[in-house]
Amino acid sequence: MSRAQQMKLGISLVSNGTHPAGWRLPQARADAALDFSLWKSMALAAERARIHFLFLADGVAVRTAAKDDDALSYSGRIDQFEPLTLIAALSAITERLGFVATASTTYNEPYHIARKFASLDHLSGGRVGWNVVTSWSEAEALNFSREKHLEHGVRYGRAEEFVDVVTGLWDSWEDDAFLRDAASGRYFDPAKMHVLRHVGEEFSVRGPLNIARSPQGYPVIAQAGSSEPGQELAARTADLIYTAARSKEAAIAFYSSVKGRLPKYGRMRQSAVVMPGILPVIGRTEAEAQEKYDALQQLIHPKVGLAMLARAFGDLSGYPLDGPLPEGLADSNGVKSGREALEALARRDRLSIRQLYLLVTGAAGHLQLFGTAESIADQMADWFRNEACDGFNIMAPYHPGGLTEVLNTVIPELQSRGLFRTEYEGRTLRENLGLAHVPNRHALREQTAAE
Amino acid sequence: MTALPKQMKLGLYATATGGHVAGWRHPDAYADMGANLRRCIEMAQLAEDACFDFLFLADSQAMRGSDWDVLSRGSTRYVGQFEPLTLLASLAAVTEHIGLVATANTTYEEPYSLARRFASVDLLSSGRAGWNLVTSSNEEEAHNFSAQSHMQHADRYRRAREFAEVVLGLWQSWDADAFPRDKARGRFFEPSRMHLLNHQGEFFRVRGPLNVPPSPQSHPVVAQAGASEPGKALAAATADIIFSLLGEFDAARAYYADVKARLPRHGRTPDDLLILPGINIFVAATEAEAQAKQAAVQGLVDPVVGRSFLEMMLGASLGSHPDDGPLPELPPTNANTSMRQKVVDVAREQNLTIRDLYMRMTDKDTFTVVGTPAQVVDQMELRFHGGAADGFVIMPSFFPNSLRDVVEQILPELRRRGLFRTSYEGRTLRENLGLRSIARPALLA
Repeated sequence: MSRAQQMKLGISLVSNGTHPAGWRLPQARADAALDFSLWKSMALAAERARIHFLFLADGVAVRTAAKDDDALSYSGRIDQFEPLTLIAALSAITERLGFVATASTTYNEPYHIARKFASLDHLSGGRVGWNVVTSWSEAEALNFSREKHLEHGVRYGRAEEFVDVVTGLWDSWEDDAFLRDAASGRYFDPAKMHVLRHVGEEFSVRGPLNIARSPQGYPVIAQAGSSEPGQELAARTADLIYTAARSKEAAIAFYSSVKGRLPKYGRMRQSAVVMPGILPVIGRTEAEAQEKYDALQQLIHPKVGLAMLARAFGDLSGYPLDGPLPEGLADSNGVKSGREALEALARRDRLSIRQLYLLVTGAAGHLQLFGTAESIADQMADWFRNEACDGFNIMAPYHPGGLTEVLNTVIPELQSRGLFRTEYEGRTLRENLGLAHVPNRHALREQTAAE
Repeated sequence: MTALPKQMKLGLYATATGGHVAGWRHPDAYADMGANLRRCIEMAQLAEDACFDFLFLADSQAMRGSDWDVLSRGSTRYVGQFEPLTLLASLAAVTEHIGLVATANTTYEEPYSLARRFASVDLLSSGRAGWNLVTSSNEEEAHNFSAQSHMQHADRYRRAREFAEVVLGLWQSWDADAFPRDKARGRFFEPSRMHLLNHQGEFFRVRGPLNVPPSPQSHPVVAQAGASEPGKALAAATADIIFSLLGEFDAARAYYADVKARLPRHGRTPDDLLILPGINIFVAATEAEAQAKQAAVQGLVDPVVGRSFLEMMLGASLGSHPDDGPLPELPPTNANTSMRQKVVDVAREQNLTIRDLYMRMTDKDTFTVVGTPAQVVDQMELRFHGGAADGFVIMPSFFPNSLRDVVEQILPELRRRGLFRTSYEGRTLRENLGLRSIARPALLA
């Protein structure tokens, strides 16, 4: 089977926008995060534009590296709905739009996650996906009776087993196990129920799940791991793979790397779709787009910028903002590879502290696309045609305009070029993403044995 | 001006196919209630049009039992149903007034996640959420959560108490005016209005703050059912509602007096905690017709299901003791002890056989009232005015008929007597229940 001719498109919505200063724009709703009627209208607008899914990032804490409460209070990403309850509510008022929500394998139990996503899949008629994350922040650990976050290798070991337990529980029931036959008094057929009895390193879970099998077989599984263990987990288990790539070359390399791992797990290249995040900044001219972006960047409060750098470099608030990154900083507890790359960049381009935080704060490592709807569509088409991706996860920098601008300009442009659909092809998220319904492993085994 | 006469509060037990083990088999029943959102919405909107205070979703994080043959004959043992918090959130999107209460258990959850999900539903519904706090009551749940065995009763309650303290504390993370969202200065919240919990206890260490601010009702309503001594103590300190299963008048009145008397020591008044017994109603224009309705459902009880349901309530096997014989002496249990005692007392007092007993228990409730609207409402009023109940949780045998019967026959009679509202008084669940909007809940001593 050849590659699909049309892109898959998700929209990433979080709190008051994916850009840390988006909420400060005059046209932004600074209280968008908790206005359910606004989220309803955003979901309905995305559905009218035939978007595949809304993607909701999440953390189980106010996640921050701000040095104190004062510095934290300048962040616009504090308050938000809990995503599973939000997508349950939104699925009740939509019919075709998909929803992908983050849930951590570090701070949850697999039975809970299997059950909640199966429930959401029933509530929505097969339109949800689980974005598997292992969590990275210290702040989350401190809300869950831990001193610090789990070490990377341990987190991934737990995540691997966690996903296996969840998919095992999703196969507790065959698709036709529930009879509800009033005459005979049989509610389900015990022969079509399968008890998991998982006993592993991290979990022992008997099962069965106390909800019928998902309309999609399994809800869609999404992952964003770029590290070596992250790519392996994604290649083995994910249907939808996110990534942050700043250049087409990097995106092509990632695409080829992760797709190349699929056959090892008995999967085909088209069994998973790769969707990098992009932050489009749209103007009537290129210059206007650049101006709009500069205006947005200007609104990043220095306290927010310094908190972003603190993850890599620790507290820099004692140094002049327009001076260079100081030499000989102590090792921080943060992400090591990220720090080295940033430090090298700062030295090479002689960036001030301010310039450095502006660079990392805007789209948080994702591709920023500037231009008119036409030129942004050109760039997206270029990536898509050159196997840098199967589509994009479009980040809305503020609400609701950051979303509606894209829906009103870029989407029609892509549609007019035949690069994006004008109708939903299927009912479920899997159908719309071109992914197969997942057969029940027990039914499959019996079927194979019979043949 | 005299105050308006006090009115009953009414909740709706809205789990899966209804409260009766055989209800789903009735020809008119929605047997797929546990997996059909459209039907759940129909039920919620029917209850909202009737001005119910709230609907309530019970829960278990495992099917109750391991005898697959028995389980396959019914739906009331949490066999196949929506996960309650997700269903509650869906219903929040399609209703405007009715309260949305669900069970979540303190034994296998983390307080931060639970506090957050209920706070989120509370905001999605503009202040209509409620949490029914339970401790795990069965071995099956332990097996789904990497636990070797079921936690002992006393340990469960110590954990539940600390859990409640953490959740109530996290719900106080932000003052109502904590978020100026000042675009010009770039300041999103006011740090002095944020409160870190910094909880350090026997079971949990939780820093906070919660990443969901308060709703219009400040925080979700808290319900509890525990009838045991530690359950009553916890409810007196923390709950806004008690779901009791005591229908017998004298026992219900004694319980009511006992719990209400505990409130002052927590700085609370009797009005701060509502006691709502469950009630199962079979109503018709004549008593004979009402009895026929009950008999129609009872006649659908599969003896295998009835017997095992009784065993579950007792937390013990009945072995080879015959259906027609008396209830035998039972070994000690780690399950729900108050439930067992109630069943045993009824059996002894009334000299019931095992069959009598399970037929009596199949509606999950010992308070079943059968009769004309006036007869049923007489019983409700007796308890309401007699110091035994502040209202009731209606437990329909099956959907939709048993709920429709209540809406069409019982509510008009209650209203005729001035005992139930004709429109919602407030916007939030707390307002409709007449509960004070307290800045800080009663502290656990």
